[in-house]
Amino acid sequence: MSTTLARSELARPHQRRFNGRRVRNRVLLYAALAFYLIASCFPVYYMLVSTLKADYDLIDPSVNPFWFKRPLGLEHFQYLFTRTNFPVWGINTVVVAACVLGITLAICIPGGYALARLRVPGGQHLAVGVFLTYLIPPILLFIPLNQLVANLFNLENSRWALVLVYPTFTIPFCLWLMLGFFKRVPKEIEEAALVDGCNRWQAVRRVVLPVSVPGIITVGIFAFTLAMQDFIYALVMVSSSDQKVINVGVPTELIRGDVYFWGELLAAALLPGIIIAFVYNYFLDYFVQGLTGGIGK
Amino acid sequence: MAQFSIEPAVAAEPIPRARRFRIPGETLAGYALVSPAVLYILVLVAYPFFLALYFSLSNVTVSGGFGGFVGIANYLRIIHDPVFIKGLENSLSFTFFAEIGKSVLGIGLAFLLLQSLRGKKLIRGLLMIPFTMPLPLALLGWKWMYDPQFSVINRVFGDMLHLMHQPYPVWLGDPVFSWFAILIVNIWRGFPFAAVIVLAGLISIPKDILDAARVDGAGFFRTWHFVIVPLIAPILFIGLIYDITFTLSDITIVAVLTQGGPNSATETLPMLAYQTGIAGGNLSTGAAEALILFPLLLAGLILFLRMLFRRAVEE
Repeated sequence: MSTTLARSELARPHQRRFNGRRVRNRVLLYAALAFYLIASCFPVYYMLVSTLKADYDLIDPSVNPFWFKRPLGLEHFQYLFTRTNFPVWGINTVVVAACVLGITLAICIPGGYALARLRVPGGQHLAVGVFLTYLIPPILLFIPLNQLVANLFNLENSRWALVLVYPTFTIPFCLWLMLGFFKRVPKEIEEAALVDGCNRWQAVRRVVLPVSVPGIITVGIFAFTLAMQDFIYALVMVSSSDQKVINVGVPTELIRGDVYFWGELLAAALLPGIIIAFVYNYFLDYFVQGLTGGIGK
Repeated sequence: MAQFSIEPAVAAEPIPRARRFRIPGETLAGYALVSPAVLYILVLVAYPFFLALYFSLSNVTVSGGFGGFVGIANYLRIIHDPVFIKGLENSLSFTFFAEIGKSVLGIGLAFLLLQSLRGKKLIRGLLMIPFTMPLPLALLGWKWMYDPQFSVINRVFGDMLHLMHQPYPVWLGDPVFSWFAILIVNIWRGFPFAAVIVLAGLISIPKDILDAARVDGAGFFRTWHFVIVPLIAPILFIGLIYDITFTLSDITIVAVLTQGGPNSATETLPMLAYQTGIAGGNLSTGAAEALILFPLLLAGLILFLRMLFRRAVEE
């Protein structure tokens, strides 16, 4: 607390000089905060208001756009779940993200452990090499990857294509994060287990993995949310409706020609969007850590 | 062991390791455990990358096997294509102006988040929504806000505040307004990330350094320029390169909002590569249009590696 207060002097170096100034600074602070909150949240707020309105209020110019005139309606959500493919896309999204989580952990837990603890000559360079592939954006790869997935892996137009491809961007991050978590497990407890007669595998299974559970959960959920951010691969590799994930199903199928079913469309975007936004926010610090701290350490 | 192409740029350094239990086969087991990750990247990142390079130098189409080698003919052809030039221009200008917007807003927000605020966790969660909400979904909200008939922007600034006059702009249908519409969404999407990066830097600065600057009589801007920026430069730099990479290569915003239109006004290289390579089935030209971005991205990558190397030497 005290450090936070002291830090705030950074932005307001002369705050203690007299009180009027302090009050004014506080007002300015909240005004700036209000500006940022409106800038960040307005689109989402507007989506929420719009989706709860009745259709005829949506296009009626006499209705205040920011509030409801008639009682709130949930028909849009009802329509979404009963008359569109939205539930199928939802299931596909969860299946894809869960499989990506599984693959990512299956690859990054052993890999991270080996790089953190075992004698792997050149291991650091391998790790940096894997990490840097994160800077090769999907846009350079999507054309050949699409061919590769369709011809070599025979996954044309299938959600399993996404399961195969998404780990290419979850692994670089998650390997680094896992490596960091394993490095923070004290070496002594593992060595104690070895002295007590465990072999390496037993020491890992009974001592190292149990204390790493929080890290493993973090990396898993992080991979899950990263997998839900993609658009380009899902757009290119999957075209039949029953295989689509939400990110592509909603923008490509609920926008029909020039006739917009705005209520349903916004409901379909808002519901998963907000959930993912808050889960991701919780793990955002790990993202930044993976990006900035993981390297060079 | 096949190595990833950018590997040799990292200087070799021995890994210091205290003497401890030596287990036979440890090195072998280590490689075995790391190999799935390396293999995954080799097969699904490195190989497709070289395949893209080959595609761009061939005349392969979606129906025609591997195609024949044509050298740089594809590149020579696309640089005379006005749509390609427009796409290149837009990709660069969107990225440039978006980075400026994001930096300004992001630095401001970072200082704001340093203050003691009640309910800070919730506030931060709300402020991060543009970055954490899946972009294709958030864009539908923007599409509705930019609606040609019922745009809430026009209703607020026109009907309510009377700052705009009829006829109101058709945000996504006008060549000039659509350009700004895309830029605004780019900035909206990225400024929370910029703030988080700057904040991560600010928090890492030892408090006594700032105290020393204050005792020496440095004001806010001098402290920022001479103390803070040099200290957090590595973090700012990494964040910036990451963000440039993903702004430059983003297809989502344009694909959902305008598809490059009206009349190529918001065309970007990723969008064009998709239209040519996937929608049009011309794999070779599409690959060439996407790979034009690579030298720019490579420059970022090299700077990134140099940064890394310098930090490794300092430590």
